[in-house]
Amino acid sequence: MRNIQAVMQRELLALFYSPIGYIVIAGFLLITGVSVWWTDTFAPGKPATLREVFFWTPWILTVIVPAISMRMLSEEYRSGTIETLMTAPLSDFQMVMGKYLAALVFYLVMLATTLLYVVLMGFYGDPDWGATAATYLGLVLIGALFSAFSVFASSLTANQVVAWILGWVPLLLFACLAFFVVRQVEGVWRQVFQQVNVIGRFDDFSKGLITTDGVTFFVGATALFVFLTVKVVESRRWR
Amino acid sequence: MIEVRNLSKYYGNRAAVDDISFDVRAGEIVGFLGPNGAGKTTTLRILTCYMPATSGSARVAGYDVLTESMKVRSAVGYLPESVPLYHEMRVREYLRFRGKLRGLDRAARETAIASVTDKCWLGDVLDRPIGQLSKGYRQRVGLADALLHNPKVLILDEPTVGLDPTQIRETRTLIRALAADHTVILSSHILPEVEATCQRIIMIHNGKLVAQGTPKELRERITSETNLIVEVRAPEAAVADHIRRLNGVTDVQAATHDGWCRLTVAARRDVREDVFNLAVAQHWALRELRREVASLEEFFVKMVAGARGHNGPAARD
Repeated sequence: MRNIQAVMQRELLALFYSPIGYIVIAGFLLITGVSVWWTDTFAPGKPATLREVFFWTPWILTVIVPAISMRMLSEEYRSGTIETLMTAPLSDFQMVMGKYLAALVFYLVMLATTLLYVVLMGFYGDPDWGATAATYLGLVLIGALFSAFSVFASSLTANQVVAWILGWVPLLLFACLAFFVVRQVEGVWRQVFQQVNVIGRFDDFSKGLITTDGVTFFVGATALFVFLTVKVVESRRWR
Repeated sequence: MIEVRNLSKYYGNRAAVDDISFDVRAGEIVGFLGPNGAGKTTTLRILTCYMPATSGSARVAGYDVLTESMKVRSAVGYLPESVPLYHEMRVREYLRFRGKLRGLDRAARETAIASVTDKCWLGDVLDRPIGQLSKGYRQRVGLADALLHNPKVLILDEPTVGLDPTQIRETRTLIRALAADHTVILSSHILPEVEATCQRIIMIHNGKLVAQGTPKELRERITSETNLIVEVRAPEAAVADHIRRLNGVTDVQAATHDGWCRLTVAARRDVREDVFNLAVAQHWALRELRREVASLEEFFVKMVAGARGHNGPAARD
C-alpha cells in the first residue's frame, strides 16, 4: 500500500537523521563486540558458535529497541503533526503499520551488522549453519515483538522518555525476568511465565530448535501489540 | 459545499460547540470569527475529520464527516492553527511525502509541487530544512501542503497569525485568488483581515453561533444611527445647544481645545448637511465634518460582551 510505504520511508528518514538512530546502532555494535571479546568466542579450540555472544542480546534489546521507537508516536503528539496525519486520507492502521515497519527495518539493519561475526566464524571454523540460521530467526522474531511493543508504548504518551521507560520496563519484567522466575512458581502463574519467557524461547532458537509454538507466540504477540497500538491511536479521536 | 446541522461537541460537561448550524456555498470565502476559546478550532477539527462531534451532523463536499471520512479528507485541504511540520525534513521532501499520502503518483506530485511552490512563493526555500525557516515561510509550507491536491474545500485555522504585515497582505491576496476555484473557510480573531478577505462572516461565542452575514450587514446591525465628528470655532455651549435642536439629533458630546470645539453628534439620520447650513448661518469656522461608520470591531466587542447590538441608541456606549 502506497500510504504505508510513504509513512515508512518518512519514518526511516527521521530515524537516520536523528542522533538517536546512530547512537543506538553504535551502542549495540559496541556491546556485541565487547561480548565477542569477553566470551572469548574466537579462542582457538572453542566450538564455532556465537551462542554465548547472543545469550545476552535479548536483555540488551529490551532497552535498545524501545529507544528506536520511542519518538515515533510521542513526537507526533507533542509537535502536533498527528493532526496533519489524522486529517489526511490515511487510515490509522496504515499509519501505525508504516511506523512499525520502519522500526522493524531499522532493527534488521542493526542486526545485519552482526553478520560480520558469522562471516568471520565461517573463515576460522566450521559453524553449524542451521543453528546459526535458527538463532538469527529467533533474533528477528524477538526484534519484531519488541518493536511492536515499543511502538505501542510510544502511542501511550507524548513524552519520548516516558515512552522509552514504558517500553523497556514491561519488556524487562515479563520477557526476561520470567526466565528466572518461571521455575519458582506453580500452577497458572507458571504457565503464564512459560508463555512470555522470551529468553527461554530464544534459548531454543539458538540451539537450532524452531518450534511452531515459538514462532506462533512471537508472531501472535507482535500482531496483538500492533492491533492495540491502532486502537489506542483511534481512541485519541474520541477524547 | 459545507453543511453543518446542530453540531455539538462536549468535553465532559463543557460544551465547546453548542448546537451550531450553517452553510457554506461553493466558491464562497467564509470567515469564522470569535474570541479565543469560542469553539472555532473545534468546529474546524470536526469538519476535517480530526475528531467526531458529540451530536449533530456535518457534510463537506457532499460527504458525511463521520461515515465517509476518507472521502472528506481527500476533498479537504487543512491548515491547523499551530502549523505542525517535521523540522528535520526539507520543504521539497515534506511536500513529496504529503503528495504521496494524497495519492498522487510521481508525475502528478512534481507538477503539484511546482504549482504550489509558485502560488506560495516557496521557490527560494525548497531545499532548506523546515526547522531553519522563519514563521512566515513555515506558514506558507503549511498552506502549500493544504493546496497540494487542489482540494475543493480549504479549511484554514488562523492562517495569518504571527505573520508580519507584508506577509499578511500576501496571504490575503493569495486566499482571495484561491476563492475562484475553491471554497474557503478560515477562522480568525483578527477583524480587519476577516473584513478584507471574507464575503461572509459567521460569529461564534462560547460555542454558540451568535451572528451570520456579510461584513456590511453585521456593521449595520449596530448602527441604526450615525455618528458625526464636527469641529468648529465657536463657544461650546452655544454650538452644542444649536446642534441638539436639529431634527434627528439624539446626543451631543463636546470638548474644546485651543479655541476649536470638537463635537461628537449622535443622530438618527445623516445630519451633515444641516450642520453645514447651521455653521454657515451662524458664521462658525468649520474645519471638520465627518461621518463615523461603525466598525466590525464594535460589533465583535458587543457580541462578546453579551449585548445584542441591534437595538439602537440604548445599546450604544
